[in-house]
Amino acid sequence: MEPKPALGTLSSALSALLEDQARLKKRLRELQQLKREARVTPKLKVRGQMVPFPVPEVPLEFRGRTEQAQEAARSVVSKLRICCPLPGGSALVTFDDPKVAKQVLRQELHQVALEECRLRVRVRPLELPVVPGVQVASAASRKHVLVSGLPAGLALPEEALLDKLELFFGKARHGGGDVDTRELLTGGAVLGFADEGVAQHLCQVGQFQVPLGGQQVPLRVTPYMNGVIQEAKVSTLRQLPALLQSSRAPPCLSLLLRLQFPPQIRWQPVPCSVLVLGIPDVLDGPELRDVLEVHFQKPTCGGGEVAAVAVVPPGERGLAVFTLGSG
Amino acid sequence: MEPDKDNKNQVLKEQQLDEESMNDDQNEELLDEIRKENIQLQEVIQKLEAELDGATKDFQIKEDIPETQIKFSSLENPENDSQFLNISCSFQVSSQVSYELQKGQALITFEKEEVAQNVIKMGKHQVQLEGESVELTAEPVPLSTGVRFQVHVDVSKVKITVTEIPDGLGLPEDQMRDKLELGFGKSRRGGGEVESVAYDKQSRSAVVTFVEPGVADRILKKKDFPLYINQSCHRVLVSPYTERRLQKYQIFSGVSKRTVLLTGMEHVRTDEETVEDFINIHFQLGRNGGGEVEVVKCSLGQPYRAYFEE
Repeated sequence: MEPKPALGTLSSALSALLEDQARLKKRLRELQQLKREARVTPKLKVRGQMVPFPVPEVPLEFRGRTEQAQEAARSVVSKLRICCPLPGGSALVTFDDPKVAKQVLRQELHQVALEECRLRVRVRPLELPVVPGVQVASAASRKHVLVSGLPAGLALPEEALLDKLELFFGKARHGGGDVDTRELLTGGAVLGFADEGVAQHLCQVGQFQVPLGGQQVPLRVTPYMNGVIQEAKVSTLRQLPALLQSSRAPPCLSLLLRLQFPPQIRWQPVPCSVLVLGIPDVLDGPELRDVLEVHFQKPTCGGGEVAAVAVVPPGERGLAVFTLGSG
Repeated sequence: MEPDKDNKNQVLKEQQLDEESMNDDQNEELLDEIRKENIQLQEVIQKLEAELDGATKDFQIKEDIPETQIKFSSLENPENDSQFLNISCSFQVSSQVSYELQKGQALITFEKEEVAQNVIKMGKHQVQLEGESVELTAEPVPLSTGVRFQVHVDVSKVKITVTEIPDGLGLPEDQMRDKLELGFGKSRRGGGEVESVAYDKQSRSAVVTFVEPGVADRILKKKDFPLYINQSCHRVLVSPYTERRLQKYQIFSGVSKRTVLLTGMEHVRTDEETVEDFINIHFQLGRNGGGEVEVVKCSLGQPYRAYFEE
């Protein structure tokens, strides 16, 4: 017997809904699985699909360092290096104790005693730019690829290795193209191409036999997640006149701008060092160093134990390098 | 059709409709329930999808770099001229890979990889914890991905950024560019010989490059500069010109070869240190499948964040 239309609609509605539910539940299970995996391996969205992409493995071990779990895991800043050009006729005197540097800076003018005369020099604190914070996000790069599978014991120096990779992947007959940038990371190299299409094509091919160190090495090419510094959002300055007019007591212009433009750098004085300026051309390097060291150890000028003196005689130039002090 | 049969059919239909309408109500309820469940499933799915979507751009690192003690290290004299045009600052940022140790779990690091792998392979271990025999399960530690990169910032000693450049003067772009060069080029007004000016009328800003390094420093002692255009003075804002870039950006996955996760101590009552000692002793013994132990840490109460290092 032909099913009655009402009953037919009902049962078909029911089965449609149940099918939907089965599909939804399956999708939910997939996503939950992906979520579990995403915690362990990063995935890339390629044409709407989450695809795992290989990242180099770094062996790490637990050495006993723990913290209360409420704190979010912080990042570590290391290998800080600041290079500051020093003008000719200047010197940098570094003391053991920052308090001594402060004392010395109380007088702007110092008279450095020589045998027959005195050198008049100026002292000032040296301020260096420090980055107060950085916000970085990563996004898949269309122009870069990650080349991985580099064998561990390769006896090639960094530059030579990058040259060989650029040579191979720069050739159209290998599926490559003009290489713009190249960088060596732990366990892989990043190549940046002028042409997006080349990068995409190389990723699709995926596997290559590349001559390195006298043998054919199987290398893998995959997409690369690049880091991008997030610039602070800055509203246009055109809004400023309106802001100034609207408030009854117009705030100081520079203060407003400081709020609108969060500083990318902050100037911080080097605690233990003083910059000596205006040194006339009367002594050569080593003598000048000795004379300054003697002067800045004298209690009469507020001085004390000197850790280092770096001089840049007039007419010359030098680059002072600063790193993270201990403690 | 005959009226009788019609009637009969009609009654039959009505009866069936009645039955159906009773079932219809129930069925409608059933359908509604399923519809509701489906909607809920949809919502959970959408949330998860959004979460996973965000996970690809997950490596947002907002780092407040703490005040550090900067110390003089050495004086160099490089050949490269360009190094004298900037104060350059570089540092490395590495995210710390960690594992959140939950109540009833312990981490044990062995000196040798083979020992750790063997302990994991054995799976279950009967360990004496203060008189009580507890079954512990050994597994590899699931570690998250980390990210590492270098930040390079160059603060120019010859360039400055100029902003709040007046734009109501009716001057074409080219001419304003020249006015800027003239204004910043006069040493008696605090400027110095200008090498070039890059002017953007739309944002009312410019980058002025001087020939000599000292000029920029002098001008930047103040936040503004008196720019003279045709006898009238306009105060423009000046700030350092900086360039920031990232290098060697890499996402890596942490993998632990010598540390093992032990679970199964949720109900253990003793203090953590005692348990750590017992675990240490047990897993030192070769007959228990162990070997030389470097460190043991367990949680019997609140979780700990355990850092993994190279």
